[in-house]
Amino acid sequence: MAKELMPGQKRITPQGIVADLMLLIWFVFSLFPIVWMFMLAMKTPAEQTTTYFQFSPTLDNFATVVSDKGTLLTSVDFKSAIVQSVINCAGAVLVSLLVGIPAAYAAGRWKFKGSDDLMFNMLSFRFAPELMVIVPLFVIYNATGLFGTTLGMIWVLQLVTMPLVVWILRSYFEDLPEDLEQAALLDGYTRTKAFVMVALPMVRPGIAASALLSFIFAWNNYVFPLILTDTGSVTVAITKFLGGGGQAYYNLTAAAAIIGALPPLILALTIQRYLVQGLSLGAVKG
Amino acid sequence: MGTLSLKGVTKKYGTVTAVDDITLDVPDGEFFVILGPSGAGKTTTLKSIAGLVDIDAGSVHINGVDMTLVEPYHRNVAMAFESYALYPQKTVRENLASPLKSGRVGTYDSAQQQQRIDVVTKTLGINHLLDRLPRELSNGQRQRTALGRVLVRPADIYLLDEPLSHLDAKLRAAMRAELKSIAQKSSTTTVYVTHDYQEALALGDRIAVLRAGRFVQIGTPTEMWRRPVDTFVARAIGQPEMNLIDAHVEGDRIVMTGSGVTFPAPDDMGLVEGEKLRLGMRPNELHVVPAGTPAPYGWVAASGHVLLAERLGRDVEVDVEVGSDSLIAVVNGDHAPAEGASVDVLIHLPNLHVFAGGEPGQDTPRLGSVLGRNRGAALPEAANEEALS
Repeated sequence: MAKELMPGQKRITPQGIVADLMLLIWFVFSLFPIVWMFMLAMKTPAEQTTTYFQFSPTLDNFATVVSDKGTLLTSVDFKSAIVQSVINCAGAVLVSLLVGIPAAYAAGRWKFKGSDDLMFNMLSFRFAPELMVIVPLFVIYNATGLFGTTLGMIWVLQLVTMPLVVWILRSYFEDLPEDLEQAALLDGYTRTKAFVMVALPMVRPGIAASALLSFIFAWNNYVFPLILTDTGSVTVAITKFLGGGGQAYYNLTAAAAIIGALPPLILALTIQRYLVQGLSLGAVKG
Repeated sequence: MGTLSLKGVTKKYGTVTAVDDITLDVPDGEFFVILGPSGAGKTTTLKSIAGLVDIDAGSVHINGVDMTLVEPYHRNVAMAFESYALYPQKTVRENLASPLKSGRVGTYDSAQQQQRIDVVTKTLGINHLLDRLPRELSNGQRQRTALGRVLVRPADIYLLDEPLSHLDAKLRAAMRAELKSIAQKSSTTTVYVTHDYQEALALGDRIAVLRAGRFVQIGTPTEMWRRPVDTFVARAIGQPEMNLIDAHVEGDRIVMTGSGVTFPAPDDMGLVEGEKLRLGMRPNELHVVPAGTPAPYGWVAASGHVLLAERLGRDVEVDVEVGSDSLIAVVNGDHAPAEGASVDVLIHLPNLHVFAGGEPGQDTPRLGSVLGRNRGAALPEAANEEALS
């Protein structure tokens, strides 16, 4: 007879141990690059290519990366690159939300001729490799003076952020019971009022999720800022530490990558509470 | 105050016709009930009136004005949704105040709003819940809040979609009475949708039975009970459902096919020899007496034995096998026969509905009832009870 278990206690079985071990191996395997990056970021230049775990940790790399003068051989103004990236990505997300929320609402609520084609067309922006459109874009940006401008970056990042916002929010709006807006209409409110008063507050988790996701995608984008701007972006700036043919500063690259991961992380933590908010909150019967 | 008139209203969803050519006139102040099974198009009909669905054909007139293309917020109708549709982030008080604050259904200062909300919530028994959010309410409380959001405001027409369906039985009966008195007092034209025939009979000035998007019959509760237009309406109204058994015409008599029981065919129905019929008998209009009890004039007796007797409370539901037919009767529990007993089932001829014959599951029109023309005597209740005791 097996031993009685207390609530919350689990029976230990050989299969369970094997499963746990395999999970642990996977855990170490998948986290190792990140661990290695943190180690690398705290190594001195002399230690940066060593492959053992013993080194004398230092925070100098972080200081170097954010120092005003850029760095050593590479003349990268990392701080202003980060600021520029924040402006570009936040701007892109804001524009996408402004245009995308009404678009998603329309697409989620009404089926009209060609609405599915339109949505698929929008999604295809995500399928298409950026390299496919980058050359014509470069020519157009040069000709129109959008090259290197903040407006130009915000505009081109719409290719990244808009499909995400529209597609994520459309499904939120589709899941929203129509009855609520209809009740508002009968209460005497216009369709716009009903949308703002009823539908919008209920898709807040969706707005948070799509904003976060599209910000991260825009933040991680490399090709557009590489080709279409010279004012810098975090992704391009990080790679400059690799030296481009001269000496590669792996330790600085790692430190820059860690700093570069902070803004999305901060954003995620800030809007986390909206992400977990329940959807319909008992508005309609389950 | 408002009259409502629908003319040929039709609504299709893809290839499915939810509402099919409905025409209806509801005079001012009437309490009109639409009764039908789920999927019959009840809610779509209400939403067509409210302007919440775009109808494919026909027109909607309120107070004689064509409202077909008018936005919902200009129609001055209020609707209680079956799904409640309460604003989740607003308290009960804010939900109820919502129509009063929109400015389109009159102007109310906060004292007037409060006063209206107080009256309605007291009536509905939710005045202690005013500061709760919908998610903190039970389904019954949510439903009453949804009803309150309708009653709190003046409107030309109230549209109520199953507003009592999630209340427990006791509360439902109380709210039914309450609704009836509110309706009489405010005399606001009301279209009430339900699948509960008791609600329909109790509340409706008139009832319409809806099937597959079409009105099968419109009439007063008494008409619907006494003269259902076909077997669908007959079965929709009454619980347990009306018994329907096969019969046919032989000479000048109608013969119950399953049991061979016969009675004279009415001569005003135009029946022909061999014609297949169905006979309808309401369970609570059947009497079950010990075998051999003589049937009074104007009554038909069918002999059988009791398969099942289920006590429902005061009454007992008896399943009697008569030949190859089975008849459900609801009888007084004090005189209920035991299971297995040999009994006669008596039915007064005026209560016997004659329907055209048809395949099982097919609804057929009512031809009439076997009128006793007052020649039949009522079964003396005392004699009946005596015979059984």
